[in-house]
Amino acid sequence: MKHDFHLSYDIGALHLDVQAAFNDEIIVISGENGAGKSTLLRCLAGLESATGTIHINQRCWLDSSTGLNVATEQRGMGFVWPAAVALPWLTVEQNILLGAKHDDDKNVHTLCENFALHHLLGRRASMLSTGEAQRLALVRAMVGKPNLLLLDEPFSAQAPHVRRRFRAQLKTWQTQHNIPIIMVSHDAEDATSLAQQHWQMCEGQLKVKNNDDTNAF
Amino acid sequence: MAGSDTTSMIDALLISLQLSTIATLILLLLALPLAYILAFTSFVGRTALEVVVALPLVLPPTVLGYYLLLLIAPDSLVGRLWQTLFDSSLAFSFSGMVLASVLYSLPFAVQPLQQAFRAIPKHWLELGKVQAMTRQQVLRHIVLPASKGGMLVAVALSFAHTMGEFGVVLMVGGSIPGETKVASIALFEMVEMQQQSEASMLALILMAIAFTLLSLVYSINRKTGMMT
Repeated sequence: MKHDFHLSYDIGALHLDVQAAFNDEIIVISGENGAGKSTLLRCLAGLESATGTIHINQRCWLDSSTGLNVATEQRGMGFVWPAAVALPWLTVEQNILLGAKHDDDKNVHTLCENFALHHLLGRRASMLSTGEAQRLALVRAMVGKPNLLLLDEPFSAQAPHVRRRFRAQLKTWQTQHNIPIIMVSHDAEDATSLAQQHWQMCEGQLKVKNNDDTNAF
Repeated sequence: MAGSDTTSMIDALLISLQLSTIATLILLLLALPLAYILAFTSFVGRTALEVVVALPLVLPPTVLGYYLLLLIAPDSLVGRLWQTLFDSSLAFSFSGMVLASVLYSLPFAVQPLQQAFRAIPKHWLELGKVQAMTRQQVLRHIVLPASKGGMLVAVALSFAHTMGEFGVVLMVGGSIPGETKVASIALFEMVEMQQQSEASMLALILMAIAFTLLSLVYSINRKTGMMT
């Protein structure tokens, strides 16, 4: 399925002006700190009030010309923040099943097993390591098969030797469910091993990073 | 210490404890939505509402008591309505003191809650949106558990502040033994009548209650990092 967006947003001195089209694939965005990568994800999620258009799965989430702006709650997407967000008073399982998303038990169980959380389901999130909390946040975003998965540095807290395994799990899941993923990462290996499109962000502008690194949107 | 003095001291303490408990429960129910609105919403008149809530912090208790007396006097609208509904006077009654205590201690319940709500990490609230949680789910699973420390502080401060009230309860409740004479007023009267040992005993008890409650507040603050 085809998806596209054209967004404009001012944050401090940065003027974000980005336009892109993509399929059900994994896109990795890289770029300098402060280039607007995380802001772009937040705009797509509806957590920032950008202007422009967003079309995902043949549904319009945003059209500033008509005043349409679908609330974050109704976009049905998964989101992972750069710092793992887990409610410390809930168990891992309660955190994963938080909210109105529905999924069959088997799928949740498989995801937890694939991301090494199955043995931690009854543990309070406050007792998790940063890496475990990050995997919890990733699995929670994947449960319920979202329309779009937005990941901000989802593997940054994982030990280098297990990152490869979790990347492979994410790729397999994406292939099985055909869900578009946009991931922000500073890790070059995320781009080389996962990305079907690699976008480079620079001062609020987006460029496709091909081998010759010249093709702009 | 004569037996009747001890009984009147215990009566005054029990009235104070009863008043503080009832006022604190009402305050919690009232302060939760009020603090939520002040912390999370923006509307015309928000500053005015914040000022009204905070007014008892700076207003002389007798001023608040005076206006309350005017409000609940038997010939006022509220007083007449109360008389019709409950066949009793609101002025110089225990119910009138509850009303006065709730108004006088309102900032002590609202402000810690408002501060606790504002201290909730932004990402936790965004998580509620991303996970398509309803407003009730966000309140139940995120806002209230995250503000547990603020709630305990609000309860402890409201209770302690109501226990220590003097001016407002004297104006609105009078000092009717066994009905509206609270511990702080009983202490004042003991000193006036030079009942030194009774006054010392009651002062010590009130001091111990205040010390215990404030210790609780400070230990919660230290744990939750609220007001450190």
